[in-house]
Amino acid sequence: MAENGAHDSQLLKGVLSLALMRLLAERESYGYELVTQLHELGLTEIQDGSVYPALGRLERDGQVTSRLVASSSGAARKYYRLSPAGYAALTHIELAWQSLVRAIEPILSRPVPAKPKEALR
Amino acid sequence: MNQVALSTKDRLRIELAVRTVDWELDGRVPMARRRQIRQELRSNLLEAATQVGAEKAVRQLGDLKALAGSYLELYRGRLDFRAGAIWAFISYVAIQVLGFALFFAFHAGIAAGGSHGGSYSFELWPGFGPFAGEVSASGNSFQVLLGSPAHLLLVMVAFSIGSSYRRVLARH
Repeated sequence: MAENGAHDSQLLKGVLSLALMRLLAERESYGYELVTQLHELGLTEIQDGSVYPALGRLERDGQVTSRLVASSSGAARKYYRLSPAGYAALTHIELAWQSLVRAIEPILSRPVPAKPKEALR
Repeated sequence: MNQVALSTKDRLRIELAVRTVDWELDGRVPMARRRQIRQELRSNLLEAATQVGAEKAVRQLGDLKALAGSYLELYRGRLDFRAGAIWAFISYVAIQVLGFALFFAFHAGIAAGGSHGGSYSFELWPGFGPFAGEVSASGNSFQVLLGSPAHLLLVMVAFSIGSSYRRVLARH
């Protein structure tokens, strides 16, 4: 997280699918509910308009399945759940993510010098 | 969180947002898929509107054109009927502009040449027409063909190129 609490939109875009798959692994859910969950986790910069197509992409790729359920608002809600292929992909992506964090963390934990050193000759 | 009762204006605002996205998909995404997108979008917006109000719910969607663009990336159909229609229209206008330009030159030639009684006609493209025009002997009256089988053929060719070139290019 940046010092002012804002997240980089490109970074968020990269991890949106992972976050959605992880939330769907816990519970079947629909678009707006997932948006709300992401916002509650502090990812308030994620717009609803990026979540809905991301769900469509996951569905197209066979990572999630969906079903329509009647709702009190009148329009039927589209509920998504992780498919067996989605669970397999999630395991793989989580491992890749953890490996990436392990690789990046030592770099980020080094103190930043006031002035960069000269290049080695 | 408190639930907000939705007024007719709120529902109209939501429907306008749904239709704005849908308009961008018109002719590009299969009808059944568009219906699903509209349904899901409407359901999510109605839910969001009861939580945060319709105006904020629509604002939270972000740029509607960008949203439609994301759906297009996902669900673009085999043919882009909208692009095809634009190509067909432009090609028809181009044919007619060319036809008229040549026709008026032909007309001016007849008037300047001191024509005899009768009428004069020309074909823009011999053997593939008619893109014909006819001028009276005096040059005062004339008629130009606005549609012909050749027009139709060219417009159809333009339509098929316009509606499918993006997919063909994407394949290579």
